[in-house]
Amino acid sequence: MLRQDCSNLLSAEFPAAIHNYRRPQKIDKKFVGESVLATGSFDASAGIWRRWEEGGGKGKPAAEIDFTGGLAGGDAEAEEEEDEEWRFAVILDGHDSEIKSLAFSPTSPLLGTCSRDKSVWIWEELEDDNFETVAVLQDHEGDVKCVAWHPGEELLASASYDDNVRLWREDVDDWACCALLTGHKGTVWWVEFEGADRIGMLGTSDEVSEEQKAVLELREKAGPRLLSCSDDHTIRVWRRIPKERREMPTGQGSLPSIWKNNNFEEQWIEEARLPQVHERPVYALNWSKKTGRVASTGSDGKIVVYEERWKSGATDKKEPNGDVTMEDGTPTTVAVTEPIPTSAKDGSGTLTEWVAVAEVENAHDVFEVNHVCWATRADKGKRFDDEEVLISTGDDGEVKVWTFDT
Amino acid sequence: MDADKDNANPTIINPSDLPSRRRSAPTTKRKGIFDELAPAYPSLADPFSSAEASSASSEFDGEERREEIDEQEVYDLISTISDPEHPLSLGSLGVAKLDDISVQRPTSPRSRISTVTVLLTPTTSACSLTTVIGLGVKVRLLQALPPRFRVDVRIKEGTSQTADEVNKQLGDKERVAAAMENRNLINVVNTMLATCE
Repeated sequence: MLRQDCSNLLSAEFPAAIHNYRRPQKIDKKFVGESVLATGSFDASAGIWRRWEEGGGKGKPAAEIDFTGGLAGGDAEAEEEEDEEWRFAVILDGHDSEIKSLAFSPTSPLLGTCSRDKSVWIWEELEDDNFETVAVLQDHEGDVKCVAWHPGEELLASASYDDNVRLWREDVDDWACCALLTGHKGTVWWVEFEGADRIGMLGTSDEVSEEQKAVLELREKAGPRLLSCSDDHTIRVWRRIPKERREMPTGQGSLPSIWKNNNFEEQWIEEARLPQVHERPVYALNWSKKTGRVASTGSDGKIVVYEERWKSGATDKKEPNGDVTMEDGTPTTVAVTEPIPTSAKDGSGTLTEWVAVAEVENAHDVFEVNHVCWATRADKGKRFDDEEVLISTGDDGEVKVWTFDT
Repeated sequence: MDADKDNANPTIINPSDLPSRRRSAPTTKRKGIFDELAPAYPSLADPFSSAEASSASSEFDGEERREEIDEQEVYDLISTISDPEHPLSLGSLGVAKLDDISVQRPTSPRSRISTVTVLLTPTTSACSLTTVIGLGVKVRLLQALPPRFRVDVRIKEGTSQTADEVNKQLGDKERVAAAMENRNLINVVNTMLATCE
């Protein structure tokens, strides 16, 4: 179950660092000895901010820095430690209308931004504070709501008002769309990749059967999956169909310079749908890199946590949420041989099922909830190593912290 | 004359034929059971947060408990909005109709979120101002209703060529927010809403 935690806010995504006017739409960060923060603004510009960290360069991940003083609330204790102030570094102009989301690549000095102007921009940081536009990608036919990087490849996903998700990679010299994921019946509000360290792993995987092992191997080969959530109230899991022979598994570097590289396009399929708990548009989700649990939230004010499990054979145990249909008696001959039919719905055709394990209603009073994310717990109330808390933000203007108990 | 208007000759409904709450119940409304839970939000245009809400009686006496905001009240909020093209109200033009308004109560006992759905009927199927009218209705309800109401404003099926597109825009809160940063749109909407009390 989820319980609201009264302790201090720790390590959320960065709070509103404002430039010019308006709260940023989405903020991202990375750690390079000094912390770097990128903010996307309603005024169509992105800002880059820097701050020296104590013990910087020692590899202390930014996520563990305690922001309880000063920064979290805005100006409360602003006078303490001026060195810890965020320093405005550079402004990135180019978009025509407000920036909806941005993200630093975890594998290269790239920043992806997206906007209501229907475009996705990729920026490369050449040296400090010198950002060059690498690509302006305009295939989407509507506002681009969210961008997210693959954890191990230079592969960017974008979600749009045109109901589609697109994946982008560099092809020879140019960035281009390498996959189009269709299926959602409304604006796709959020996309996110699975963590690289536990691809396809399940929360409870004690001993695995041969069949299950094959599924895990397949997933390992396919790489991190992708989650998307939409105005159509659904949350979908997408998986790449691995290529037979792929010389460059990372997809980067210079592939043979053929005119059209047929190794470029990727095929992704809808692997599963999460139980449909939300009754209104789903605005955000977050896939825990540590536990593999997924949290989602949206217009109905609910926060829901899901877990992926092995289907337990033929037992038709409690179906927590009507949509999980299990085919009794047929633990299926599936998944070992590609491809799982594209029409596969509600997780049928795999050996796993997604289950909603916790739900909070009215998480932010009667208001819509816009964002939820997992964060490593670091306060005194921490109950075990690597405990994670959920952080949510709502239209009531509040940031809330939730603990999760299984 | 009026050649530039999409519909220069709209049908106008006689004011006495417009729906209203006749010999309506006493003005002291019973408090809805969810009011106890919902915080009072001061809103400049909120006609429901005013004085009358002091008779706190949380017991519901055998009667079906009811929400204190019903379709008629939603209608009253939006029917007085002016059409951006004609000096007439949306009610008298038949753009807003009582029958096309519904109020859905919370779907579960724990939920406190109600949904107001308004279907609009544009005066002509090609009315280029459909989006603006929808925006005006949406803004009016967002301002006037307590925050526990989700407001869905849609174009009635089969009445406009651009219904899907307009519905999608009106359903996107970021789009609505962006529209309300546009000075021209703000001016139009303010003019439309100026006739609401």
